[in-house]
Amino acid sequence: MKKILVLFLLAAPLIISCTSSTTSQKKAEDEKGVKEYAMAVDVKKFEEDYAKVHGNELKKMAEDGNPGEFIVEDGRALFHKVDGSAGKSCASCHGENGAKNLKGISVSYPKYDANIKGVLTLPVQINMCRDKNMGVAKEKSWKYGKAEITAVELFVKSLSNGMPINVKIDGPASKFYEAGKKNFYGKLGEWNWNCAQCHVKYAGRYSRQEYLPPAPLLADHWPSFRLDWGKQAGMHTRTIQERFKGCIKNMRVSDDKIPDFETEYMRNLELYVMAQANGRLQQAPGFRR
Amino acid sequence: MRENIKLSRRGFIKATGAACTAVLMAGALPGFLKPVMAAEEQIDIKDALKKLFGDKKIETGHVDLDVPIIAENGAVVPVTVTSDLPMAAGDYVKNIYVFSEGNLNPFVAKVGLTSANGKAEIATRIKMRKTSNVRAVVETSKGNLYQNMKEVKVTVGGCGG
Amino acid sequence: MAEIGKIMIKVPGAIKKGDVIPVKAMVVHPMETGQRKDSKTQNLIPEHYINDVKVYYGSDMVTSMEWGIAVSTNPFITFYLKADKAAPLKMVFKDNKGASFEQTVQVNPQ
Repeated sequence: MKKILVLFLLAAPLIISCTSSTTSQKKAEDEKGVKEYAMAVDVKKFEEDYAKVHGNELKKMAEDGNPGEFIVEDGRALFHKVDGSAGKSCASCHGENGAKNLKGISVSYPKYDANIKGVLTLPVQINMCRDKNMGVAKEKSWKYGKAEITAVELFVKSLSNGMPINVKIDGPASKFYEAGKKNFYGKLGEWNWNCAQCHVKYAGRYSRQEYLPPAPLLADHWPSFRLDWGKQAGMHTRTIQERFKGCIKNMRVSDDKIPDFETEYMRNLELYVMAQANGRLQQAPGFRR
Repeated sequence: MRENIKLSRRGFIKATGAACTAVLMAGALPGFLKPVMAAEEQIDIKDALKKLFGDKKIETGHVDLDVPIIAENGAVVPVTVTSDLPMAAGDYVKNIYVFSEGNLNPFVAKVGLTSANGKAEIATRIKMRKTSNVRAVVETSKGNLYQNMKEVKVTVGGCGG
Repeated sequence: MAEIGKIMIKVPGAIKKGDVIPVKAMVVHPMETGQRKDSKTQNLIPEHYINDVKVYYGSDMVTSMEWGIAVSTNPFITFYLKADKAAPLKMVFKDNKGASFEQTVQVNPQ
């Protein structure tokens, strides 16, 4: 007991000096904006090295048959289903299978929207459409992160497959891009980690039995089908924000402090992460381990 | 007091143990428990092969097996089996068997083909309990057996995409 | 939504008579091994898996399969077919609980 007390007394000034130094550091960071890390790997080389270890197993499986394709079909069915007081379906405005005006649309999402004065993601856009154009009552709005809205998001995204991601970050969007960057570099959880540590600073290194993918590879394939050990019977695709939640949980943030779907935090973060993938070809549904 | 609890706990275990043994010996195990008991025993690949093919010799060759060196996810390991043996009306590959030797029951699948398939190739995805050999056995309509095997490393990753 | 027993069969679009074509099929199924515990109740989830697959090309059965519990969840299978006639290709999946699911696609070689 005595020993512990002595140890504590010895350690106390150390702890105090540590915390004071981090707060002053933080202040300096706030004034200068976020200090970005240098990307640790060449993205192309990472992809080549990864293929050397794992082959093109996942890519081949995705081409042969991705169970996410069942979810695309679910989304297609919902897209053509009449809902709300206006007696319309998504297809009433966008044409059969979205042929009229949806091809190539999803690659520019998320984007700045003047009406909500913030970042508009595809799921929010879908619910807005349902509210304004289809007359779906507020309480019947689709819940974010659930099967219906993810299926429709996936279907809409699948219409733009093979097209380069093109998220705008200039003009009014730049403010939100910077806010998203701040989230990407903001320290979280018990371990005081941020997204950039794994996906920029130490990208390409081997951790927890896998290679940490660099930031530009994170965003071109959502919603994605995941081969998950724990959820063997699960038949659903995940959205990028579900993945954010998973990552934040892995960073040891307690459940009640993980940001919810489509909050400002999540939307800004999505804008930043999607913008890192600009120029890459969209492929939804993705197929990940 | 403590002693008493210990004793009574021990007594309880003894009593239930005896009851269990009695049930086992009587063979009156409820049906729903049976698969659990069976699942805990590892069936050896040799026994599995013997049960299917008897003492017939299994030769190597004529079977190409495409599996990853390291599986990205042990629950979904892609396996492709190809054979260059003929697929003619009277002489064709009758069955392709897939085994995962580390699974409690190594048998994964049997695919019965006919000459109407035109090509002796199948691909599927299998669950692997641990790092082990994947083995493919090809049986021809004439009764000849050929095999090939490859090791697949199975890891459990932490994050995933 | 994507419920158990939904089947997707893919055959190539343009086929010439006599071509040997790949047939790729996926079916939504949990393929429970009987070895997995329910995380809430701690009880073992009973076995529930497809154990019998039959493929008919016209009136002939061309392929038949026996599956164990170790075929992955939402099973996927590729096999080949000699497309020598215009006929329906039917796949029938049966599971250990007695359920049966089937789907038919048309094979139309030119």
